[in-house]
Amino acid sequence: MSILNIQNASKTYGSGHTQVIALKTTQFSAEKGELIAVIGPSGSGKSTFLTIAGGLQNPTKGSVLINGQEVTKLGERKRSMIRLKEVGFILQASNLVPYLSVDNQFRLLDKVKKGNLNQQEKAQLLKQLGIENLTKKYPADLSGGEKQRVAIAKALYTNPSLILADEPTASLDSNRAFEVIKMLAQETKEKNKATIMVTHDNRLTKYCDKVYTIVDGGLSLVSDNLQIRP
Amino acid sequence: MFLAWNEMKSAKLRFLLIIGVLTLMTYLVFLLSGLANGLAEMNREAVDQWKADAIVLTDESDMNLSQSSMTLHDAQRISAEHKAEIAQILAVARKSGTKIKESVAVTGIHKDQFLMPKVSEGRSFRGDHEVIADDSLKADGLKLGDRLTISSSEQKLVIVGFTKKAKFNAAPVLYTTIATVQKIKYGKADTSDIGLINGVVIRDPHFTKIKVPSRLKLTTIEPFIEHMPGYTPQKISLDFMIYFLFVIVSVTIGIFLYVLTIQKVSIFGVMKAQGISSLFLIRSVIAQTFLLALFGVCAGFILTAVTGAFLPSAVPIQLDIPALIGYGAIFIFVAALGSLFSVQTIVKIDPVQAIGG
Repeated sequence: MSILNIQNASKTYGSGHTQVIALKTTQFSAEKGELIAVIGPSGSGKSTFLTIAGGLQNPTKGSVLINGQEVTKLGERKRSMIRLKEVGFILQASNLVPYLSVDNQFRLLDKVKKGNLNQQEKAQLLKQLGIENLTKKYPADLSGGEKQRVAIAKALYTNPSLILADEPTASLDSNRAFEVIKMLAQETKEKNKATIMVTHDNRLTKYCDKVYTIVDGGLSLVSDNLQIRP
Repeated sequence: MFLAWNEMKSAKLRFLLIIGVLTLMTYLVFLLSGLANGLAEMNREAVDQWKADAIVLTDESDMNLSQSSMTLHDAQRISAEHKAEIAQILAVARKSGTKIKESVAVTGIHKDQFLMPKVSEGRSFRGDHEVIADDSLKADGLKLGDRLTISSSEQKLVIVGFTKKAKFNAAPVLYTTIATVQKIKYGKADTSDIGLINGVVIRDPHFTKIKVPSRLKLTTIEPFIEHMPGYTPQKISLDFMIYFLFVIVSVTIGIFLYVLTIQKVSIFGVMKAQGISSLFLIRSVIAQTFLLALFGVCAGFILTAVTGAFLPSAVPIQLDIPALIGYGAIFIFVAALGSLFSVQTIVKIDPVQAIGG
């Protein structure tokens, strides 16, 4: 069973001649252990794709299944529970609650959900990301890169089966960016997750199993990892 | 509670200011309730001391003791076991040879009936012209043995004792014999059947069975107090101010929290995207209001207690702890109601906006 299965989904805003097609009719699936990159310029429908894949909004037509559950048929409350249990979001900016210290960011997740990483796994995760010494700090005291790594740790902490990352390496230097992608790849393989990252950074695609491009709302598979069609 | 508390810790100044506003509002509510209480007390403390259940007055008097006038014969026809005759005249007493003047309620009673107050200083009156005075008069410079001249009367009184808590409609009471009151009122005493008194106080929980002669009317004590001149308007004004303050508190904290919520819309959006439910966020906003109101009420309570300890006795503020606790609880409740303004906003936050573009 695919972790994520998008069937005939499309998204349009407005109607008549003001109609905007944000996502053309799309077939997409992500299997266990797959790290998938979706590459496209801004305004191409990347974010729409990501929000539909994560059950944040419903497509205008078609259906989305996360771990076999058809989220397009669920109400907001149930979708919110699926997001909590199954999906880990790594967002570009302001992903962290500004008034919680790094440690409390994790405690917040413990308050709302059971079955998160245990202390040992968490310590290991923080160490891998190089943020083990930042636990007492508040987001305002962190650099952009540190914030991004805390956000990644936060997404992985709930042990989701689907990880959706929006420009996860945007504020990281090259070395750190490669490390983070390697880590995401490793995490994906070892724990049988599916990871989809939206990015415009072509260099990262060599770690990915599949690469898609998205242009004007149309998603197409690039079969060969290293040759990306314009 | 977790989010609420951590947010308050990280933005101490902002939340201390809100608590400060709530503290001042509680302080105002508490002082007003103390004032309402104190003013009510001034009117009714003598009546409360009587521990009476009802009073018989003439129908014509409209429950006003000094306007009621009945014969001793009528009073004796009232079929109650525990009853006490009362005569009263409101007058101005002057300490002989000085300029010390005070409005008083000269109140005639029988020594052997239950209206007889407990003497806290000096002795009881033995005959006419001797009075037991309310001890608030001591603050005006009166003491045992002082002679008093009564306005528009030839009669002279002498203070032989003091009693505590004896104010009637804000006037200190001078307890004396019924004959003394009759002398002040009519120039001579008349204890025969046609002698006049003002009313009969009843101490009997089953007073409804009591029969009274026509023209007389039995009234329970509470409406009698409420009919005292000024008592009800005063109480209503202060109560109204207190109730209105509760509305203001609710709206004020509602606005504060609404603004705070608006500022947090994007971060709430991110949390919702992560799957944290609206309910959790709403609970945290209500918990925050609860904490703010609780701190505000506690600080206001301390401030009130300190003020109460330093107020001069002339200020009629009486702090009634159970009442203050009650008001504090209402205060916290209405504050929490105010936070409900934000609920709609939180529910409406669309998690999609967490992912820009």
